[in-house]
Amino acid sequence: MAAQPRPLYVRELSYLEGGGIYGWLTTIDHKRIAVLYGVTALVMLVLGGFEALMVRTQLMVPNNHFLTAQQYNQFFTMHGLTMIFLVIMPLETGFFGNFLIPLQIGARDVAFPRLNALSYWIFLLGAITINLGWIWGGLPNDGWFGYANLTEKFYSPGLNIDFYDVGLLILGVSSVMSALNFFVTIINMRAPGMTFFRMPMFIWSLLVTTILILLAFPALTVGLIFLFMDRYFDTHYYRVIAGATPILWQHLFWIFGHPEVYIMILPAFGLISEIIPVFSNKPLFGYPMMAYSLILIAFLSYGVWGHHMFATGMGPIADSTFAITSMLIAIPTGIKIFSWVATVWGGRLQFSTAFLFALAFVIQFTIGGLSGIMHASPPIDLQQTDSYIIVAHFHYVLGLGALFAILGALYMYWPKITGRMLNEKLGKLNFWLAVWSFNATFFPMHFLGELGMPRRIYTYAPHMGWDFWNYWETINAYIIALSFVVLAINVWWSLRYGERATDDPWDARTLEWSVPTPPPVYNFATVPTVTARDAFWVAKYGSVEATGLEPVNVAAIAPSTAPDPGKIHIPAPSLYPVLIALGLFGMGIGVLVEWYRVVLIGAALMVISAISMAFEYPTWGREDPHAVAESFLGLDSRKIGIWSFIGSECVFFASLISTYMVYKARSTGPFDADILNIPLTSFSTFILLMSSLLMVLALAGYQRNDKFWGTFWLIGTAIFGCIFLGGQVYEFGDFWLNEGMLFNSNLFSQCFYTLVGFHGFHVFIGVCWLLTLAVAGIRGKIDSKRSLAVEIGGLYWHFVDIVWVVIFTLVYLMRTIKHA
Amino acid sequence: MTAPLRRSALVSALAVTTAVVVGGCKPSRPYPLDTLAPTSDLTKAFYDLFVEVTVLDIIVLIVVVAALFLAIAFFSTRTGAARRPSVKHSDMYLEMAWTIIPALILLAITVPTVRTIIKTQPYSWPKDALPVEVIAHQWWWEFHYPTLGVETADEVHIPTGRVIHFELFSKDVIHSFFMPQVGGKRDVIPGQENQITLVANVPGEYYGQCTEFCGDSHANMRFRVFVQSPADFQEWVKHQLEPPVKPTSGPAAAGAKVFANAPCAICHTIRGVSGFSKQYTYGFRGPDLTHFGSRTTLAGAIMDNTPQNVAVWIRNPDEVKPGANMPTLGLSGRELNELVAYLEALK
Repeated sequence: MAAQPRPLYVRELSYLEGGGIYGWLTTIDHKRIAVLYGVTALVMLVLGGFEALMVRTQLMVPNNHFLTAQQYNQFFTMHGLTMIFLVIMPLETGFFGNFLIPLQIGARDVAFPRLNALSYWIFLLGAITINLGWIWGGLPNDGWFGYANLTEKFYSPGLNIDFYDVGLLILGVSSVMSALNFFVTIINMRAPGMTFFRMPMFIWSLLVTTILILLAFPALTVGLIFLFMDRYFDTHYYRVIAGATPILWQHLFWIFGHPEVYIMILPAFGLISEIIPVFSNKPLFGYPMMAYSLILIAFLSYGVWGHHMFATGMGPIADSTFAITSMLIAIPTGIKIFSWVATVWGGRLQFSTAFLFALAFVIQFTIGGLSGIMHASPPIDLQQTDSYIIVAHFHYVLGLGALFAILGALYMYWPKITGRMLNEKLGKLNFWLAVWSFNATFFPMHFLGELGMPRRIYTYAPHMGWDFWNYWETINAYIIALSFVVLAINVWWSLRYGERATDDPWDARTLEWSVPTPPPVYNFATVPTVTARDAFWVAKYGSVEATGLEPVNVAAIAPSTAPDPGKIHIPAPSLYPVLIALGLFGMGIGVLVEWYRVVLIGAALMVISAISMAFEYPTWGREDPHAVAESFLGLDSRKIGIWSFIGSECVFFASLISTYMVYKARSTGPFDADILNIPLTSFSTFILLMSSLLMVLALAGYQRNDKFWGTFWLIGTAIFGCIFLGGQVYEFGDFWLNEGMLFNSNLFSQCFYTLVGFHGFHVFIGVCWLLTLAVAGIRGKIDSKRSLAVEIGGLYWHFVDIVWVVIFTLVYLMRTIKHA
Repeated sequence: MTAPLRRSALVSALAVTTAVVVGGCKPSRPYPLDTLAPTSDLTKAFYDLFVEVTVLDIIVLIVVVAALFLAIAFFSTRTGAARRPSVKHSDMYLEMAWTIIPALILLAITVPTVRTIIKTQPYSWPKDALPVEVIAHQWWWEFHYPTLGVETADEVHIPTGRVIHFELFSKDVIHSFFMPQVGGKRDVIPGQENQITLVANVPGEYYGQCTEFCGDSHANMRFRVFVQSPADFQEWVKHQLEPPVKPTSGPAAAGAKVFANAPCAICHTIRGVSGFSKQYTYGFRGPDLTHFGSRTTLAGAIMDNTPQNVAVWIRNPDEVKPGANMPTLGLSGRELNELVAYLEALK
């Protein structure tokens, strides 16, 4: 392995040095946040592994009494939740995403460093919330998919499902925040010259993943909010008795859930696409097709959720449609697999541990993908769904797939992250143990599935023909644990005795290897200019087509000038992310114990910290040093951020509106036509639309530096918003007091109050935002240079108005005319 | 029959491609929930499609694995240390090939898939089809034959050679009605009527089980399917329609009194002895016990119907089936024995 000599220069402090515990608590450095994510997720991996071993031990022999049914149900539920939300997602997106995105695109940090820290702390507290059941009330016990109506209070009275519900809501906030952040970073923070088709494939995969997260999580959020309302406010979103259907949950859950599968596997594809070229000493084969296939998979993933529901009786048309769309996904996935094989073909292969994991990934993922084609065919699925062949399938895709990619990437990136090499001998032992034990555990599950063993059963009879393989799998599950013990030993050995890593130990191809190991806080002394794909390789050897046997161009990879720390803008640490997360956690816990003082304290802490953070440093009063300077598109990152947020909100409202439309038709009276007050609402709609006009005038005022009229129209917008809210309060009060339509009176009332109420809440947030801007305006802090703050608030305000136009049309104007 | 032959070919193919020793999974006796042993027109259609997709899957897997292993064998640094690596990173014809060929393979799967869907999910069925209502409860199965007036639990009898139309209802949460050899599976959803239409061909006793997670005792929600010749089925129906046995002497007669005095009758129907109205919708309901003694299993088909097992079940239902809605009655030993004798007498 050609270790590249680096010219002598003064080594700066690495990102790992200095700061102490307070430094880690307040850090907003993407690399430190990555380490926080990584450590948390590895702890969770131990927990999830323990749960898996408990499950396997119970299934070791028929009619086993090792666990009770209740314990078993909790453990298999927590195993799924932990591995999906607290291990694979945070390791791929939180850990590798955080560490690699800025380094691979040549940036100094992510677009919103404090938001990044906030994402982590919220993630941590969400993880704690889901796991509170260890010490209090019991763990979630209805499966990670939590199918309604089993999750209703009548069937699941304990706190178990509340931890599930609130925990996932909190984790969703964290996921959407970091997805927004990474999306903007990738779009806008790339180094000069790094066009889309020069980005490393891992960046492509995360770009697509972040879009999936932004557009998928709101559907889950809506489903969880409905569940919360059913459990706490006695509504009927999933209750048959009121005419609702528990299938609504399945649709919302899988509209989120299938993209979620790709949220877990696409970053793994990206990591594999980084490992294989490096250790094959060859450029990635079929780069454009690899990128397009990622986009295609993401696009198709929104049209296949029904394949999780073939057994629910959707009818032959829906079954056929979802079967065809699901089959289509195999084409781009096949392109990826064949391209990886073609990348290996003809290379100069170096069998490091990382490469072995990547090669095993390709075969194992293929097995998982092929069994997926079986389940995509509804007639076959009617035999296989909810049997162990499904367990085999998704463990091949996620366990022997995503987790192998993560392990491979861990072996490859460990030197860059910690500055020390892992032991390759222990690594090989780890690999062979893992590849044997994972396959020996999960392959026979195909047989068990064909022999009809259902999932999620805590016990089985002895004469079913399942005894041998269950015994065998349990033994091998413990060998899986052993392989992770070897990994732990390797990590300990590396941190203690490991060889110091050079800056480029693998003769790699992308920019993250061009910085010192471990990287300094600012990543790049000078921001690189990118002229080709595999930028670092080109710098070293002259062209993408170089074989790596040519002499290294030392001058090209050396920093051109010694870094001047004064010229490098590094955002300052902040404690507010931790405080905001604590506030949110307090609100969640307060709701769970129905102790509303804690909710109020948490909310206060959250709001105060958020406002303090908003005024902490950037644009209020002095120049923002990095707003436009580092932008790739010449746009302000905050503007792209608000647009991505609006995209995410669209899915949120679309889920609420479609639920309203479906449930209105199934509701009992009083109906919308009997109740809705069209003249009043037309008036408030007119007011709200006019407020958008005032918003335009306010922005125009600030842009031409006319502070008085800018502020004047801004306050006018806020007042019009208040008039609209007043109309809504009157309307709700009228329905409540005069019509007797309570929140949970019928399906129509609950959907109406939820939809219109959530919109009203958005207007309320908008009014608060506008008033904050107005205060800044009165104090003369907004001029034409900083009018962007008004523009961003305005974008949000216009979006909320447009949503109202849709709601007014669909809810108020398109009333049900005739009732049976 | 060719199915077992093709089946063993399939198993060997799996064994060869995966290099896993399949000796351990060779059946010493038939597997009760085997999904690859079709005995009805429906499961035969599922099975044929499965065989086709599996064969194609295995071919694709062999291609990928072979290509990767050949690459590893040819291009490792050990075998050619100084060889210059290729720098080729695209090939239009190759990339078109691995886009178009998989698409054609998928077409070869999709067309028969859609044909099978349309064939197996009919919108209508013959007038002389036998309707069977399946009503799922936490955690047992209730079966009604609306045209025959028969009610039973955990064991469903159907005749061969006649279209059977299962209508699936749930009284509480979502369950799934899975009888792999006879009819595959279909979810049982509260507030929604699902159906399975099939013609069973091979008489015999088949296993079934709930396959959608439905709470604590999801694992204990099993059932049996008895496929009978039309004559045997008629015989069974005739017996089921007879009034329950009324024991006049011995422990069974005493047991009838125990049954009447204990809370049993609140939930359990014995025709002519106890029961509640058909409109009864909410709250808990137990299996119809009119001909309990003629069944082979009890408590969600998790135990054989022997006096010992019935006693174990009644003594503490929650221990046998965690979360079961049947309460512990606290009967004395003698009362228990009498009650068991009575129930077993209900042939």
